[in-house]
Amino acid sequence: MKSFEYLKRRFKEYYKDNKEKIPLVSLFDQREFGFIPWDQQIRMIRHMGFATRDNLIKHLINNGPRHVYSSGSLYLNPENKDMKNKSYLGCDIIIDIDVDHFYTPCKEDHDIWYCKECGKNGKGMVEKCPNCKKSKLKKLNWICEKCLNVAKKEIIKLVYDFLIPDFNIDIEKMKIAFSGHRGYHLKIEDNDLRTLSSDERREIIDYITGEGISYEILGLRKMGDNIFGFSRETIGWSQKINRKIEEILKKTNIEIETQLSDKRTFNLNKNFIENLLNYKNNFLNIIESDNMNNWTLVNSNLNTWYKFLGAIVEEIGIEVDVPVAIDIHRLIRYPGSLHGKTGFKVQELNPNDLDDFNPLDEQTEKLDPIVFVSKVQTIQKLEIIESDVPATKIKGETFGPYKLGDKIEIPHHIAVFLLCKGVAKSI
Amino acid sequence: MSDIYDLVKRYPWLPSLKTYYSDIALKNPLDFISEIFSSNKSKALESRVLNLFNDVFDNIEHLSEYELDEINIYVYLILKILLYIINDKILSNRIANIYSKTTYNELNKENEYSLYYIYQDLNLKVIYEEQPFVYKKFVVKDQKEIFKTNFKISFLDYLKLASNLKDEYRKLVNNALLQGYVYIKPENINRLLQEHVRKKLLIQNNEVSSDFEKFKERLFEIHEFKKLYTTITKIWESKKEEFEYSIDITFKEGKDYSGILPPCIKEILSKAQEGQNLVHTERLFILWFLNSLKYPEDKIINVFSTLPDFDREKTAYQVKYAMKKGYTPYSCKSLKSYNLCFANEYKDPICLEGYYSRMQDEQKFISHPLKYIEVKEYRDSKKLKKTKNQSQDQK
Repeated sequence: MKSFEYLKRRFKEYYKDNKEKIPLVSLFDQREFGFIPWDQQIRMIRHMGFATRDNLIKHLINNGPRHVYSSGSLYLNPENKDMKNKSYLGCDIIIDIDVDHFYTPCKEDHDIWYCKECGKNGKGMVEKCPNCKKSKLKKLNWICEKCLNVAKKEIIKLVYDFLIPDFNIDIEKMKIAFSGHRGYHLKIEDNDLRTLSSDERREIIDYITGEGISYEILGLRKMGDNIFGFSRETIGWSQKINRKIEEILKKTNIEIETQLSDKRTFNLNKNFIENLLNYKNNFLNIIESDNMNNWTLVNSNLNTWYKFLGAIVEEIGIEVDVPVAIDIHRLIRYPGSLHGKTGFKVQELNPNDLDDFNPLDEQTEKLDPIVFVSKVQTIQKLEIIESDVPATKIKGETFGPYKLGDKIEIPHHIAVFLLCKGVAKSI
Repeated sequence: MSDIYDLVKRYPWLPSLKTYYSDIALKNPLDFISEIFSSNKSKALESRVLNLFNDVFDNIEHLSEYELDEINIYVYLILKILLYIINDKILSNRIANIYSKTTYNELNKENEYSLYYIYQDLNLKVIYEEQPFVYKKFVVKDQKEIFKTNFKISFLDYLKLASNLKDEYRKLVNNALLQGYVYIKPENINRLLQEHVRKKLLIQNNEVSSDFEKFKERLFEIHEFKKLYTTITKIWESKKEEFEYSIDITFKEGKDYSGILPPCIKEILSKAQEGQNLVHTERLFILWFLNSLKYPEDKIINVFSTLPDFDREKTAYQVKYAMKKGYTPYSCKSLKSYNLCFANEYKDPICLEGYYSRMQDEQKFISHPLKYIEVKEYRDSKKLKKTKNQSQDQK
């Protein structure tokens, strides 16, 4: 509780010191706002509306909320508590990419789970306890440059492989933000797109994730013992798949073997990989040709191709939080606000900034989400209250790992991070 | 090229109806009915509307009469009013299907210029390019199949027309999307317009309010209209039952199996019965399922006859092919992955709780819809035996 009061104070200070820097989202007065305060019991206060940015800032300075959200939807009466009476006007397209929802190898190093049922613990991304198969797990999910980089690559892929070339979305209408924790949001503010229903949004999401692809409709055929693949002239996903296959085939044999035998992705059998490698150059010629597409490999059947293509589609598609994208009444983090699980700022970014952006060690001051770095190196004393806390590398320096009861002296921004994560208390 | 007046006669659902035939389209429905039934067009109109309903009652798949004159506009408007006051979902689905299917056939006869005008009138962002664009190519051995089109439609309009169809051929992910446009052949846009027209004629079951009753009463003051309404509803009442039970499973003559079907099948059959579109996986599943029950070919085809895009010849070919191959219907696991499992929605105890296997001495879950039938039939026969014994005991 003491930590919460401390963090609330610090959050209030942040909003007071940065009131000019909190951006104004478009059509501000038509958006619903939601807040999660610093209470032990997590509860969301929503159905709030603000006529001006100043009113919002006053609210933030007075309350220093743990999390701040605004709606992607526009309403005539955003503060009305009954959804029916809000008078819905439309909703921005919101795409959330969060490493919580997909596997990254670094999770084996920093995500910790503990089974409340049998007491077993371990590292990595698990849905159920591998020991007792129950899903009563306590999880401690951490962040590192590697996983945030994976999320960043997904958002870059989303913009440059899908939204611009396929959907022709104007880059000026895209608002990208680092979420302040484990991912990125992309919001498209376009009047025509705002009219789309949930079903129609799902179609867009299915397109960018590759969900519902029919290889037969795209042109995969089995004729006798032969398998015929896609033509590079077919617009859309078949072209994307052909390009990806081409990219893989241009790698060295060892790289191909490693990639295609990876248990978490392709998981293809040795025979298929061996035959593919033997046939590699011919296959490359076929993939690159307009007039050939016989993909027959020795001992390969249609099922192996389905498996191979399925993994290719996974590689191309974007890892998206689907419910967020199709729900037209979702709230998303307000840009410039603080994330209560890290103390980091929700940082708005231009698509051009994305390549060089490094949230844990950002060099451009105005893009730096780590806002509690003190100019005079203030040291703070904390006690660790979790059994295991993974190492954290922020601003080029590594802190931890720590064990329960460790008493540590750390810089201010790391202290805020560990307190927000709920793994330490002030002493 | 037809002028817009002619196009509206052919397709009275076009928005331009209100501009070019404002004297008809913007009139209060009561005045409209009153005037039209006292005009010299009355007889021809009555006959056409009645024919249209009779086509539906006779289960004909295309309208036998679709004249492209001004009366066609009146037919469409009266149809909407009639469907509204008859207030019967099954009938409205049937009419909507047959009418929209005829529209689709008519649209496919139009030249590209007329089609372009129609798309523009519907405010669709469709672009016609002088040079046809190759958007798909299949190469199998030495044979090439090249798909070209002059038309492309904005993905937004495409989604608005296609997302309701939930058909994997029409899923955006399986189509040629480039720079914000879906490259598409006009007949495929027309198929989407068929759905647009179908939706225009569908009614939700209206709440019978006092306003609704008043409106009906006022309409019935127009004698000719009331006569037409009564004729139609009288025939419908006598035929209704036939339609409601036309797709029951009776694969052994005289035996009604409708009570032992699993929820997944019931759901698809009820959608088909209402004339809703079925997605590809639903079509395959019902086909393989009925075939597994040794259901006769013509009866399987008839199950599909209510679907908006039904084509008897094509369906017959596909049914024959599937029967020859003898595919097994999807398992429960596959049905779940295709979102076709309705165990929870139907709160079905056999699906949710499973059954007791005496052989294995344990409670087991249903893993296949055909197993469901076996279990259900066994339980029903037990129940019947018990009831018989009880009644004998009482005697």
